[in-house]
Amino acid sequence: MSDILKLVVCIKQVPAVSELPWDAATGTLKRDLAEGMINPACKHALEAALQLKERHGGRIVVFTMGPPMAEEVLREAMAMGADQGVLLTDRAMAGADTSVTSFTLARAVAGVCPDFDLVMCGNRTIDSETAQVGPQLAEELKIPGAANVHQLTLSGKILRLERLSDNFLETLEMDLPGLVTISTREYFPRYVSMEGIQDTFDKGTILSLGAKDLGLDINLLGSKASPTRILDVYSPTAKKNNVVLKGSPKKIVEELFTRFGDKIGGVIRKDIKKADT
Amino acid sequence: MAGKKERSIWVFGDYRDYFENRVTLQLLSRANELAGKIKATVAAVVFGNNVDEWVGEYIAHGARKVYVIEDPALQDYSMETYSILMERLARKHEPEIILVGATTFGREFAPKVAKKLGTGLTADCVGLDINKEGLLVQMAPSFGGNLLAEIVTPVHRPQMSTVRPGTFQEIPHDNQAAGDVIRVPLPRDLPKDRLRVISAKRWEQTGQRLEDAKVVVCGGRGMGSRAKYKKLFELAELLGGEVGATRPVVYSKWVDEEALVGQAGKQVAPEVLFSFGVSGAIQHTAALSEADFIIAVNKNANAAMMKMADVAIVADAGQLCTALIRELKDRIRH
Amino acid sequence: MNFNPCMKHKLVRKTVRLFAETELSPIAHEIDRDARLPMEVLYKMGPLNYFGLQAPKKYGGAAMDSISYAIAVEELSRVCAAVGLCVSVHNSVGLFPILKFGTREQQDRFIPRLASGEYIGAFSLTEANAGSDAGGVETHAVKDGDSYIINGTKIFVTNGGICDLALIFAVADFNHPRQSTSVFMIQKGQAGFSVGEIEDLCGMRANPVSSLFLEDCRVPRSQLLGKVGDGLKIGLAALDAGRIGIAVQALGIAQGAFDAAVKYSKERQQFNKPIASFQTIQNYLADMATWIDAARLLVYRACAVKDSGRPYSAEAAMAKLYCSEMATRVTNMAVQVHGGYGYSKEYDVERYFRDAKVTEIYEGTSEVQRMVISRAVLSKLT
Repeated sequence: MSDILKLVVCIKQVPAVSELPWDAATGTLKRDLAEGMINPACKHALEAALQLKERHGGRIVVFTMGPPMAEEVLREAMAMGADQGVLLTDRAMAGADTSVTSFTLARAVAGVCPDFDLVMCGNRTIDSETAQVGPQLAEELKIPGAANVHQLTLSGKILRLERLSDNFLETLEMDLPGLVTISTREYFPRYVSMEGIQDTFDKGTILSLGAKDLGLDINLLGSKASPTRILDVYSPTAKKNNVVLKGSPKKIVEELFTRFGDKIGGVIRKDIKKADT
Repeated sequence: MAGKKERSIWVFGDYRDYFENRVTLQLLSRANELAGKIKATVAAVVFGNNVDEWVGEYIAHGARKVYVIEDPALQDYSMETYSILMERLARKHEPEIILVGATTFGREFAPKVAKKLGTGLTADCVGLDINKEGLLVQMAPSFGGNLLAEIVTPVHRPQMSTVRPGTFQEIPHDNQAAGDVIRVPLPRDLPKDRLRVISAKRWEQTGQRLEDAKVVVCGGRGMGSRAKYKKLFELAELLGGEVGATRPVVYSKWVDEEALVGQAGKQVAPEVLFSFGVSGAIQHTAALSEADFIIAVNKNANAAMMKMADVAIVADAGQLCTALIRELKDRIRH
Repeated sequence: MNFNPCMKHKLVRKTVRLFAETELSPIAHEIDRDARLPMEVLYKMGPLNYFGLQAPKKYGGAAMDSISYAIAVEELSRVCAAVGLCVSVHNSVGLFPILKFGTREQQDRFIPRLASGEYIGAFSLTEANAGSDAGGVETHAVKDGDSYIINGTKIFVTNGGICDLALIFAVADFNHPRQSTSVFMIQKGQAGFSVGEIEDLCGMRANPVSSLFLEDCRVPRSQLLGKVGDGLKIGLAALDAGRIGIAVQALGIAQGAFDAAVKYSKERQQFNKPIASFQTIQNYLADMATWIDAARLLVYRACAVKDSGRPYSAEAAMAKLYCSEMATRVTNMAVQVHGGYGYSKEYDVERYFRDAKVTEIYEGTSEVQRMVISRAVLSKLT
């Protein structure tokens, strides 16, 4: 094999909305109404990969698992500079928890890019927010993993990385092949250029793979293979009964201190309950 | 076999940032409550070097058993080694439940352990309970805490969760409490670490960090102008708090990027959050899920931010800020 | 016929929207107030190919289809019409005529600079006595050896205040103005070429619309676009393309105003209900949505005909006429939905309202569009 740097970036399509895609009347997620986008941290991971490629040369293959429309995020990643997109799409893959998602991704990565040097993921998604797929993917691939990384320096087959972990600034060294998840602290993603978009549709290729293509038993995939099961989803914020204050600013402020002066004063350790008389 | 073994609930002893974060003690407390419902014992698991202090602490806070692996080689938190040790212990003793604090370390460590054990894991839980089938019901937030999912692991064992710090109250320290300490030698067949810690320095912040502030004053574009936004700093100083901003404010250059609160910026966890002229896009509110008490000011009573507030003040954000500053100055003087 | 946007067009929309909402949204109000074109944002747009959307790749362009171009201008205009205008004019009547009528040498010289945004283009036909009537141009080009000496004053030049390359329409022979109207590519800094005062306009205030002065401006023949007398042909071709640009700009403005109205109507409460729950407001929103959609289909049709290589003057004129009048209607209604706040500078809709009106006027007034359309209708054999 050639010794160019081979990077794998795993990204997720998440709903792009500024309102919660939640139907209070039915108590369900309105996923189909929402436009999709690349999960922010995944975009930072891709940016980190692009910077590594710019520095060291190499090739970036982007993976995503989702419905056929998830091809969109692969196209966007390619428009940013990734070389190839791999779409894992199969009804049997739907509803996978993090354990099964990482299993499926690992089989695909091992099948399509067995000689990768580094797998890069976002540290967390903004929808399910588990932050688990990256570390579990490292386990599946039996490679070292480091989460929440914000700086990478590559020399040969050793990756030096920096991250913030529980109030500690850690500098680590990792033998490649390995996996990192990238935080949103650094590596702010570039804008997509119009030429990049045109190019990806002119000449970019997407490899679309289902369970059969990967040689995977469908009983090992999707919700039915997942150890965890969701019993219920609800919106705690929708139920909030709050106090509404109206009137002139002065009146409002007085009322605020009368009713919540103890609470606020307790936090700031000052007695503000009584007005100066 | 399950009938023979004693049922147990394990709590991972995460002591590295103990003085900032007492999540292990909080979990021991909740584990005791859960243990009563499934007739289990509560055990802590501690890895490291010179960990006696923590062993004693965990017993005093509710652990009836502590598994300890102590060795100079375990001085630094090591993701690879710690997860292998946890896997081996769990395979041997088959706990019913393993709880891990949702610290940065815990949220990487637990997924690895769960994967090694082939079981499920629920992330960053904000509630735990036992249902009538005896299953651990795990309340997991998504969309920045705007939604909660109740999740169970019906078949696979152990049932595993990472739990958000501050979710539960610790049991008061009890000097009289007793517990068994089970010392396990460090296995000699551990693989060479492929991820090495070069240095781990305590992250020193100059001044108070927005993330740690007990009072946060957040301003959005509804403040109207840069000059009015600057008033928030005066208010924050009176309250001993820090100032945060929404994305439009940062892009308008009213304040530095450092102040950005949101998915792309900082997560805050104040005891009181003042929110001025913020509409409440989820990119912003996702970072507020750990705020205890929210006072929102907006001309628009129906802004999303107002709906999630404990106190919603319908007023011009700039004017209210001025009134609040004036009143606070009057009251604090005495 | 397929009415679903293809994945490429969706990605163009998403990409430009992200850029516009991130870079332009926070400053749109302020640059309108201060009448300032945000050069710092324009510099970021250059490498992203916003100034060479349809230019060939060999010249650093993105070589996109017309619908992609339309979507890009629409999305910029949805947030900041003045910048949308800058990009639209630059691409459609600044760069495009050189691509269509320029010599290889002229293209090599100017297109890479225009496509990268190093040069901002402008198009100046309008004068005090010439506008809708392109035959009324009074700017004079006199041949002098291998050069032309040009004298005259152009007004209402979009991008005028910052343009690096202007297409100037001038007449060589006043006895035969229509046969001698010619187009010169004049660069900033060329002796005798200067920028007049920035116009104080009702809308599009962030765009430095200005007059241009030509005083004994000597222009080498290498800067003549096409031949002497090609002026009207070039002008018409440029305006056909330009009309698509103005149409989508109007569309973007309308969409921006509509989005604001929808958001506001869900938030604003009267009689303890969001105003969106009142049938009158619902009817407004339904009408706005319908008109916007109809307008969008008309523009995309014009784009598709253009890309097929067939004549598209009538289609472009219909799109421009409908979109611009629709934008004026929709922004007016969006202000109405906002009530008193809509009339205040605190909300964006009053800016959309001011910006919309000019789309009925420039690059061919609605009256001229009707002329073009009726000609096409009447010339059809029955």
